[in-house]
Amino acid sequence: MTFLNSANADSRIKLYSYDSSGPASDGSWAGKRGVVMRVTFLLTLLLAAAVAYGCSVQQPAVAPAVAQAPARPLPFKGRLAQGDASELPSAVAMSLSSTSSVTFSYREELTHDDYHVPLIVSAFDPVTYVGAPLGDLGVTAFASLSIVDGDKVLGDYTAKVHVSKSYSLYSEPTHKEVEQAARAAVREKIDQKLYRDADRLAQAIAGSGTLPSRAADK
Amino acid sequence: MNRQVAALLFGTATLFIAGCAVQGRPFEKASAPPDNAVIYVYRPYHYGSSLLRPAVTCGEDSARIGPGGYHAFVVPSGHEKIVCSVEGAETGDQVEIDPQTRVYYIREEFGWGVLTGHPHLNPVDTDQAHTEILDCFWFRHSSPCVQEP
Repeated sequence: MTFLNSANADSRIKLYSYDSSGPASDGSWAGKRGVVMRVTFLLTLLLAAAVAYGCSVQQPAVAPAVAQAPARPLPFKGRLAQGDASELPSAVAMSLSSTSSVTFSYREELTHDDYHVPLIVSAFDPVTYVGAPLGDLGVTAFASLSIVDGDKVLGDYTAKVHVSKSYSLYSEPTHKEVEQAARAAVREKIDQKLYRDADRLAQAIAGSGTLPSRAADK
Repeated sequence: MNRQVAALLFGTATLFIAGCAVQGRPFEKASAPPDNAVIYVYRPYHYGSSLLRPAVTCGEDSARIGPGGYHAFVVPSGHEKIVCSVEGAETGDQVEIDPQTRVYYIREEFGWGVLTGHPHLNPVDTDQAHTEILDCFWFRHSSPCVQEP
């Protein structure tokens, strides 16, 4: 009984001590709670910011994926049979000659595949206002180049490149920029294929009896 | 009383929505001389469509297209690329079109902007464009886009 009483007494004391320290420690508890709330708020803010930026789709720059190599002419020259002289892969543009019997036929096609997040979704998505992508502009460029000597096809090259660029509330590219990037990338691909095959082409032209056009031009 | 208010609100909303749509002749194919390209720029009437009507320019011709409208640009096709552009208050968009192209479809849309909507010119495949042009209004089924001067 005594034990129980003492136990009760202890508990009362504890309870009391808790209660008695109430008014004195209310300020410190409130202060602690305030600090905890502030830290929690800051952490939540940081987390939200991290999620907002971390979840946003990171797009590579519009620059073509193919590494740029210094352009150089082909070891032969050719005449442009099909295509626009101002819209050619560098290697072909630097190897044009109106007198050559070898002909170049170049063709490019662009297709677009834009994606836009529906307005009703992006309007209520907080990350929209932080600068998250609202969609992207995509362009696929397909190019084909044929090199023909008389009725003999010396080479047939095709390349396909897809370039896309996302846009946000604060910045967006124009379709023209994405188109030009896709064109540049696909021309670069054709150039690389041509450079890899240049020796074989030169041999084929030499073998077919066509004058090496460089020499012919000079 | 509540029913009357609801009916009034519904009527006002309908009038507001329909009132924003452009009026004109329904879509019909434009005829063009042989050395010309026809570029159809259309603007489907979506929910939340912006009422902005920035000028769209293709070649030397320009038009302001409202929600639910379209304009057929007949542009001489030479050797130069045809450029269609639209300039909004904050941003603009441009599309290059091959001069060999005879018929081309562009959908004008508005995305979110900081202060005003951002206009986009989205090149669209012929099949998809036909479907969208013939069903141009989200609140009127199977209504084609109407011609804008």
